[in-house]
Amino acid sequence: MDAFIEGLTTSLQPINIMWIVIGGFLGTVVGMLPGLGPATAVAVLIPVTFGMDPVSALILMAAIYYGAMYGGSRSSILLNTPGDGSAIAATFDGYPMARQGKAGEAMALSAVASFVGGIMAVFGFILLAQPLANFALRFGPAEYFLLMLLTLSAIVSLSMGKMVKGFIAMSLGLLIGTIGIDTQSGVYRFTFGITELSEGLDFLIVIIGIYALGEVLFNFLTIDEDSKKERKKVGKIWFTKDQWKRSLMPMLRSGPLGFIIGVLPGAGGTIASMLSYSSEKQISKKPEEFGKGAPEGLAAPESANNAASVGAMIPLLTMGIPGSGTTAVMLGALIMLGIRPGPLLFENQPETVWTLVNSMFIGNVALVIINIVLVGLLVKILDTPAKILYPLIVMLAFIGTYTLSYTAFDFFLLILFGYFGLVMKILDFPLAPLILAAIVGGDMEQNFRMALASSNGSLGIFFGSGVSIALFVLIILSLCYPLIVKAFQRRKAEPTS
Amino acid sequence: MKWFKLGMPIFLMVVGLGFLISAINLPKANLGNPNGPLYFPVGISILLIVLSVIYLIQELRKARESNDHIRELFSGRTPVLIISTIVLGVVYALIFETLGFLVSTILFLGALLFVVNGPRKWVSNIIVTLAFSFMTWYAFGELLGVSLP
Repeated sequence: MDAFIEGLTTSLQPINIMWIVIGGFLGTVVGMLPGLGPATAVAVLIPVTFGMDPVSALILMAAIYYGAMYGGSRSSILLNTPGDGSAIAATFDGYPMARQGKAGEAMALSAVASFVGGIMAVFGFILLAQPLANFALRFGPAEYFLLMLLTLSAIVSLSMGKMVKGFIAMSLGLLIGTIGIDTQSGVYRFTFGITELSEGLDFLIVIIGIYALGEVLFNFLTIDEDSKKERKKVGKIWFTKDQWKRSLMPMLRSGPLGFIIGVLPGAGGTIASMLSYSSEKQISKKPEEFGKGAPEGLAAPESANNAASVGAMIPLLTMGIPGSGTTAVMLGALIMLGIRPGPLLFENQPETVWTLVNSMFIGNVALVIINIVLVGLLVKILDTPAKILYPLIVMLAFIGTYTLSYTAFDFFLLILFGYFGLVMKILDFPLAPLILAAIVGGDMEQNFRMALASSNGSLGIFFGSGVSIALFVLIILSLCYPLIVKAFQRRKAEPTS
Repeated sequence: MKWFKLGMPIFLMVVGLGFLISAINLPKANLGNPNGPLYFPVGISILLIVLSVIYLIQELRKARESNDHIRELFSGRTPVLIISTIVLGVVYALIFETLGFLVSTILFLGALLFVVNGPRKWVSNIIVTLAFSFMTWYAFGELLGVSLP
């Protein structure tokens, strides 16, 4: 409780409120850019936190993350181009609303829905985080290894229909993680005589390369088409009583749903928003209005999406296991700030955790205000030609990379990964498994070897406790998940055909 | 376009093989299990090679299917934009430490804007280049205390 109050006072300091507002605004702006999502926003803006004290930096990072989540749906509503998977559901009814001249109403509704989902999820966080951290304290190396394996296999099998590509991306990420000095034996691995590689390949370069440079290069494919998109009239920036009435219950139902999905490994905002959309459509009295601008069809997924983004912070902070590409980028940012997420974080630095939690509250309040009051300004930014914005993001990616270790050698790695990210996007590879594996790969190997060392090389250690057996079963289930879904779809399809 | 789709699995196989060969040739560890540093990379590179073979077979089966993104990659200005960005990036890497942050960034961003935004909008290109180069130089160098060359 003391730590909670301390966290509240820290996050209420004027300077930190200022960082929340700045971060929220920057995140909203980058998250809003068509074709670029929250992962890009966090990746590009990581270097902004250099030279700040860790707590303020953490607050700023978190604000950028939430801001990008809010911003992501702006381009869904106005331009029908979601920045990432979790903003897709916002196009279903958000864009039709904009076409009916209700863009302002849609944006206000989406901001308020995000706020409702976010606040509900923060309460969930407070309830669930501490017990989960206590539980995770009992994990040994074997359990950690299996947990990371579960996260990776879950994120791959949830990228439906791309299992092989997903596992290829994962293997590449794991191999990237092995480059550099092996911490247990001091052996240099895969450095090919390049001294810059002896410390390992900084996964932040991989992140910035793939999510910032790679995404911009990918957007070059369609750069000359986007500019012709007509601009929607914004209209008035507040929703009607009727819209509110229709949206309230769906928002309240979707918040907890999104939160729980966010906590699960590998799931995250995309699945949360899609699931809440389809379940609201099923129980709705007017399902025929969904897809034609039903306000609840926008409010529900927005609430779920934002709740999931808070829920995803739980496995990230309590176990150091990110559940999605965006949270993986967040993990990278945290490690860079010297914050080592895991159960010990709650023991050793409780004030850091609670500062973050309280900043989530304040951040959500600030963001709903930013997103409603500044709609006019935000829409103007969206009008800035992409042809000017993309070069600026490229420049930021380079400068960000330089600040990581002060050598222009890293630019070559950045270009390499940027190009590789482009090729992967073109060939429809999921990117999240690669990023995730590159970040947790090193830890995963160390835990694997520590587990084996403690059991004198017997693989039995991976079945040695109730927790590890349960994790093993979950891994098998997650691998079979696509097959189960296929079987269900077939059974569903049979009677009609 | 076929070569683009089939090139990837072959490239991945080469990467897997490269990692496998260099992993097997790693020096033995003096601390702990002498083969300790080996297991993980060897296992993963074998996994990567196996997966790449499956991927290659899958791609061979549907080699005729067209991929919209690949078509876009070779149409219009796209190849020029991508190649210029990469080339400019390499040049930027080479001049960054010798010419210093400000000069090299102005050249890099300016050139990039001329390519992407078009030479016809040279006025806004120059304004954006100068404004943002000085702004980032000030923000990183002065406010955030990052030592820039």
